[in-house]
Amino acid sequence: MPLHRLAGFVALCLLLVSCGAPPALDREVTTLGTTEVTARLVEIPGPFPANDLYNYAYVFKYRIVSVHRGQVEGNEIFVAHYNPLKARSKARDEFSGNLGGHLQRFRAGDIHRMALQAPLDQYWMGGVIDKYHTEKGQRYWAVWTNLETK
Amino acid sequence: MPLSYRPWLIGFFLAVIYSLPLSQVAVEASHGEWPQALDVFRQTPTAANLRSFERDTEHASAAVAFVRPWVQSLRFELFRDPGEKTTLGSGGWLFYKPDVQYLVEPCRLDSVPENSPVRAIVRFRDQLASRSIGLLVIPMPAKPSVYPDRLAARSLPGGSLGWTHTQELLELLGRAGVETVDLRDSLVLWRGQSAGYLKRDTHWSAAAARKAAELVAARILASDPGIVGSTEYLTRPVSIDRRGDLVRMLEAPSLERTLPAEPVECDQVYAKRTGELYTDDPHSPVLVLGDSYLRMYQTDEPNAAGFIAHLARELRTSLTSIVNDGGASTLVRRQLARSPDLLAGKRLVIWEFVERDIRFGAEGWQDVPLPAVQASSPASGGKLR
Amino acid sequence: MVFSSHIFLFYFLPAVLLIYYLLPRGRNVFLTLVSYVFYGWWQPWFVVLMMFSTGLDYLCGGIISRPGAGSRVRRMALVAAILGDLGLLAFFKYYTFTAENLNRLASLLGGSGHGFLPVFAVALPIGISFYTFESMSYTIDVYRGIVKPARSLSDLSCFISLFPHLVAGPIVRYNIIAEQLEHREHTVEKFTEGVALFILGFAKKILLANPMGSVADAVFNANAPYALDAWVGVIAYAFQIYFDFSAYSDMAIGLARMFGFIIPKNFATPYVSESITEFWRRWHISLSTWLRDYLYIPLGGNQRSPRRTYFNLGLVMLLGGLWHGANWTFLAWGAYHGSLLATERWCGKKSLYSWLPRPGRVAVTFVLVLISWALFRSPDISHALSYLGCMFGWTAASGPAALLSSEIYTPHHLAILAICACLSFWRYEVYDFVIELNWSKALVLAPLFLLAIAAMFTQSFNPFLYFQF
Repeated sequence: MPLHRLAGFVALCLLLVSCGAPPALDREVTTLGTTEVTARLVEIPGPFPANDLYNYAYVFKYRIVSVHRGQVEGNEIFVAHYNPLKARSKARDEFSGNLGGHLQRFRAGDIHRMALQAPLDQYWMGGVIDKYHTEKGQRYWAVWTNLETK
Repeated sequence: MPLSYRPWLIGFFLAVIYSLPLSQVAVEASHGEWPQALDVFRQTPTAANLRSFERDTEHASAAVAFVRPWVQSLRFELFRDPGEKTTLGSGGWLFYKPDVQYLVEPCRLDSVPENSPVRAIVRFRDQLASRSIGLLVIPMPAKPSVYPDRLAARSLPGGSLGWTHTQELLELLGRAGVETVDLRDSLVLWRGQSAGYLKRDTHWSAAAARKAAELVAARILASDPGIVGSTEYLTRPVSIDRRGDLVRMLEAPSLERTLPAEPVECDQVYAKRTGELYTDDPHSPVLVLGDSYLRMYQTDEPNAAGFIAHLARELRTSLTSIVNDGGASTLVRRQLARSPDLLAGKRLVIWEFVERDIRFGAEGWQDVPLPAVQASSPASGGKLR
Repeated sequence: MVFSSHIFLFYFLPAVLLIYYLLPRGRNVFLTLVSYVFYGWWQPWFVVLMMFSTGLDYLCGGIISRPGAGSRVRRMALVAAILGDLGLLAFFKYYTFTAENLNRLASLLGGSGHGFLPVFAVALPIGISFYTFESMSYTIDVYRGIVKPARSLSDLSCFISLFPHLVAGPIVRYNIIAEQLEHREHTVEKFTEGVALFILGFAKKILLANPMGSVADAVFNANAPYALDAWVGVIAYAFQIYFDFSAYSDMAIGLARMFGFIIPKNFATPYVSESITEFWRRWHISLSTWLRDYLYIPLGGNQRSPRRTYFNLGLVMLLGGLWHGANWTFLAWGAYHGSLLATERWCGKKSLYSWLPRPGRVAVTFVLVLISWALFRSPDISHALSYLGCMFGWTAASGPAALLSSEIYTPHHLAILAICACLSFWRYEVYDFVIELNWSKALVLAPLFLLAIAAMFTQSFNPFLYFQF
């Protein structure tokens, strides 16, 4: 049956082509912004806004793993990421200012290493979807975001 | 019946369904990334995670990113189909689909009390009144309200859409004692005076923004002449070219190149004494909250030529403003709640939001408590009289 | 998972085909496992429900067919299976509707209207109506002696969960699949036909049903549309539901053939029907034959008095309407079709307009079906009445509804509407196309597939209409 052979060939191709390498760390995360932390994304509190006409920033809650630069109060922080539907390397546009990173997508439980700015309103004047708006605490603006291997 | 077409058809089918994931893995590998498809094994299989994985897979697809602009261009060229987000009117005018939906579809203004625009606006008015600050509400007519004839195939009685949800909201707010300005009829009138909306943008022209500012200023001064300041502003003409936001929503770069930017004549506002362009003042007695209609020509190119600058010119005083693109229903009030000092010394808040936000506003119409003012006590302001 | 989605077409299907054809044995078990993945993709815990239903029917089927089982035991096992299956369906599909309406009734009768039955949101497991009917038919057929009980739980699980027909049919009977589970041929001919059916179904869904759906959605969502727009809207919906549902069936049948299964067709050009009776012989054939065999005939069918026949027809259609969902609109839709069928039965299995020439009969039948679709598509009865009022000019159009024309009468939509009309009124189905495949047809299918994929890339998520049932 030729279908067997074809299946075997495709399986081999899949195996070969899947041999990628994990992303390397970059320097931006250690130099940009005023604060640098490694933190675990606690949850994704709701659907991300559709960026039809405007782009929004979306506030996430993080639990601090370690603080590398600057000072952070408490062990939970709120970080606004611009246009979270996009990979960080593709999110930057004419409105966002400099931002980037290796992070491809946001998943609850992942650990991110981030370069941050604060307060948020000084760095982003557009729409902010903040599901935690009743909770007090500094809102940070994420400048650079990388996924940390656990 | 020859047999040879069968393996060919099977081979073609398999080649198509296998080539896309294989090429995707190859693209990701070339960027030094793990295959995104394997993410499905890295997370708990909850419904939310699976939806998110599915959406991410499609968004990350290099094939989709490559093919989509071509298909959009083809659809536009062949069928004049501008895609899922925009509607094409007569004469090549583009409209934002949710603007049309807002007008055409039912909208129960008080169906969900905790998300009712009337309730949220009245609550905000009361919060401000307790600080002796007046409120003036301006629901901004979206483009289809001003240009219905460019969308409707049949003639409209009196050239107007008649009673819309915005008219209903204005009536309900009027009954609740909230001060409002209805710009629709004026904007319909001004479009005949070269002060309408842009052809391929959701927003108004600079001339319309200026006329609206003059109308609103006249209304404020008629009610509260004491609000007028002493700064004299002058204007100077500036021309800009604006590439419409609706063109970008066609998601076809090749089309964007064929649709030229629109020339817009603006009047830039500057202070007579210093010659400097208009800038906001956080200590102004007037705070303006709004969305991208207020951003247009103001912080966008050419600067200081939008509604806010012209309103300041008419009131002879610089203003405080919070502009939140697409977020004038709730987000702009949250932003104000994060900076309550801005309310210090205010006697009037002007709140503009595009009418589609009555139904589709980001985060709806939530109640946003305003924290106590920490700075100096309010100036001798009061309710808009 | 949706057949016309990126994840299914480019990840799930290639992976499943690859592993399936690499496996030397255990293919049924593999198909069962991937079918659970397919089904659980929507909501993983839904799989537990299906497993429960399968286990119950397997157990009861075993008891019924056990040598020496008495008739009382057999009957009790049958009743247990039916109650179990219908209990699941009743709770997940009809509980909230029943509770709301009983509370409303209690309120009308003077009660408080609160707390008579607690109302809470129950998640509707997709496809539950389809697989419940399939598993019920298995136990009933075993009881009737029409089929032998399943060889193993694995076989029955494979039959019920088989992903091609799982979520939106066709409603397959066990006797059709039983032998194929044991032995089926995998041939190039069968695979080619499967590919052709899949491509045609996929193209129908993406290129025809979805654009018609956007027209129908625009009009049905509008506040008091103009009469012409309301008619165009309901015609667009008629095309959407036909090309959407028949597309799913085509893809299901095509996928089944890729895995060696033959399952029967579900549609036969329904809009060429000359009467409502004929329409129901051509529309959703697997449901109408299921209702005939397991409800209409046990009720006595047409073997008793004419009045009883009319009653049976009405009841079967009413329940058929209710099968689609817990909403008064579906009940009204079923009652409407039931009364039309009873009327035609009263006229001697002929329509009231049988004196018209054939095009006239087809046209009147289509209009009668359109009226039923207005009921079917509306979110509630008041909307349905208002929409029918717009269609017949009883309700005045709202001013802003004039803007609808920009959404409806675009060159793209008009072209698709015309293509749908041509295909709907042409007595030619995709099965006819596939029966005699040749080079020229293969060369039509290839670009059609690419075109549909390209169009899919520009469309937002569009699940099949029958997923909600």
